[in-house]
Amino acid sequence: MTSAEIQARSAALRAFYPMRVIREQFGRSMIALAEQRGDLVALTADLMYATGMAPFGERFPERLINLGIAEQNMTGVAAGLASCGKLAVVCGYAAFTSLRAIEQAKVDCAYNEVKVILCGLSAGLSYGVGGPTHQTFEDVAIMRAIPNMTVVVPSDTIELDQALQAAAARPGDAPIYLRIGRGPEHAFNDTAAPFEIGRARKLREGRDISLIANGPMVVEALIAADILAEHGIGASVLNMHTVKPIDREAVLSEAANVRGMIVVEEHNIHGGLGSAVLEVLRGGHGFPVELIGIEDIYPPIGPTFALRESLGLCASAIVARAMAMPRRN
Amino acid sequence: MVSERQGGSATPQADGGNRLTAELARRAYNIRRHALRMGEVQGQGYVAQALGFADVLAVLYFQALRYNPADPHWEERDRCLLSIGHYAIALYAALIEAGVLPETEIESYGSDDSRLPMSGMASYTPGMEISGGSLGQGLPIAVGVCLGLKRKASRSFVYNLLSDGELNEGSTWEAAQSASHWQLDNLIAVVDVNNQQADGPSSQVMSFEPLEARWQSFGWHVARVDGNDLAALSEAFDSARNLQEPKPRVIICDTRMGRGVPFLEGREKAHFIRVDPDEWALALEQLRLEA
Repeated sequence: MTSAEIQARSAALRAFYPMRVIREQFGRSMIALAEQRGDLVALTADLMYATGMAPFGERFPERLINLGIAEQNMTGVAAGLASCGKLAVVCGYAAFTSLRAIEQAKVDCAYNEVKVILCGLSAGLSYGVGGPTHQTFEDVAIMRAIPNMTVVVPSDTIELDQALQAAAARPGDAPIYLRIGRGPEHAFNDTAAPFEIGRARKLREGRDISLIANGPMVVEALIAADILAEHGIGASVLNMHTVKPIDREAVLSEAANVRGMIVVEEHNIHGGLGSAVLEVLRGGHGFPVELIGIEDIYPPIGPTFALRESLGLCASAIVARAMAMPRRN
Repeated sequence: MVSERQGGSATPQADGGNRLTAELARRAYNIRRHALRMGEVQGQGYVAQALGFADVLAVLYFQALRYNPADPHWEERDRCLLSIGHYAIALYAALIEAGVLPETEIESYGSDDSRLPMSGMASYTPGMEISGGSLGQGLPIAVGVCLGLKRKASRSFVYNLLSDGELNEGSTWEAAQSASHWQLDNLIAVVDVNNQQADGPSSQVMSFEPLEARWQSFGWHVARVDGNDLAALSEAFDSARNLQEPKPRVIICDTRMGRGVPFLEGREKAHFIRVDPDEWALALEQLRLEA
């Protein structure tokens, strides 16, 4: 099969999945959550429109606190509100939530043990035209290294809604980071399928190779698995929406049942989901594991899907890698 | 059983005022004494700050702050947030004097299983509202607490304790502008200006004056007082509390590090002091003679 044929097949399969705008869903989900939870207070840093929160602001003007372009203060204020019993939800860009205000996320939220939901939108390459300052490819690594912090990367609008609900409902006093996209992405999750933080979702069965992915890479893994199946290669697909705490049992079960593994993420290959999976395997399983991600570079500036394609973060690249990689006997 | 301490006004009459000042002086002396005894346990620490800030803490805990020593989480309490985490030794001394912590715990200061670690931790220490240590974190949290309390229609005040060195941090000013934007009249910032930070005099490391004008330009009500003058402090805390303007308030307190112990007051590098074992007794003796 030529790469042109793989790309054509990928495009055909892709057409089955409708496109849904992530930030519009974020705004809708936040309104729904605020209607259930009278204690919810949302915070933003001059990104009300950019995070899809304008309808929320119209519906609940007194429950949307805009701090101006001051993410450190926003995160500290969120911690203070949470200490007064509010469900504080930070609605910012992933780049600034995870970098500019990281000490507040660590000290004010995680170390001080307050329940703040840190939403990082426009993550990954979803705001590709924003360039490397706004593209976010290090946030999972950073957040994952903070004790008390949970890290969830929803894969579409449906899972985003489920993850927000789950984040609000979870007991205990600890922050959670939700890594969220921006523009149109493929929607594929089953609204009726249960979602649980820390429990991976198996979307395809296969005994040859395991594709572990999260965020917008899950649908790419699904398309890749379908193409591989057409060529006699059985690929399982595991949606690892929670990077921390990672579902160890699911990873180990995959490793025991397949002959090779590819971890796919829209993140630097250093420190993200691939690293988390390798930490579980600890090199002790003697079978090939490959990582697909951003290869420790500053990506070019460009539209999201073209950027992903150019960086190999797409179904056809997964297929090519799966066909080329060695497999355990 | 200690009852709830209602924060509020100093007695207005002149003789009553004198009595109050004498009582505050006694409390300040005890706070200094507790801090020195904790310093002796470790042989070092941020003792000079505690000595310099003791008068402020005496006015805060024995005039201004509303709290219940038997119930540090009492909902109606005023919140006192220690943004300057390295002043933990000073706050412990005040909490001991206030009856929130037992004096017997002084001996455990800084040891592994102590409720009095060398940097303040809310999860360890009763009366400690936040875990701190990194500068520039407290005022943003205080703004959030003020907003949260207002949403609960609480009448509690939030005090946030900062230092001059901490004003180098940009996040402090992000919080300062938001506090005046939301007219947080339940916020009282207290800045300890001892003109000393880790690398030397604050005015040389990063100049911070004119402080009153800086805070005023951010929309705050500003008072600047001699932070070792109990009568002046007493009046400043009363004014901050009773101000009718819808503004956050800041009390800038010029203090002298090591205050009350002459041989420590004279030290040049006073940010983190080490004291020889035989000198602690001298420090306590000098403190007694000065009082």
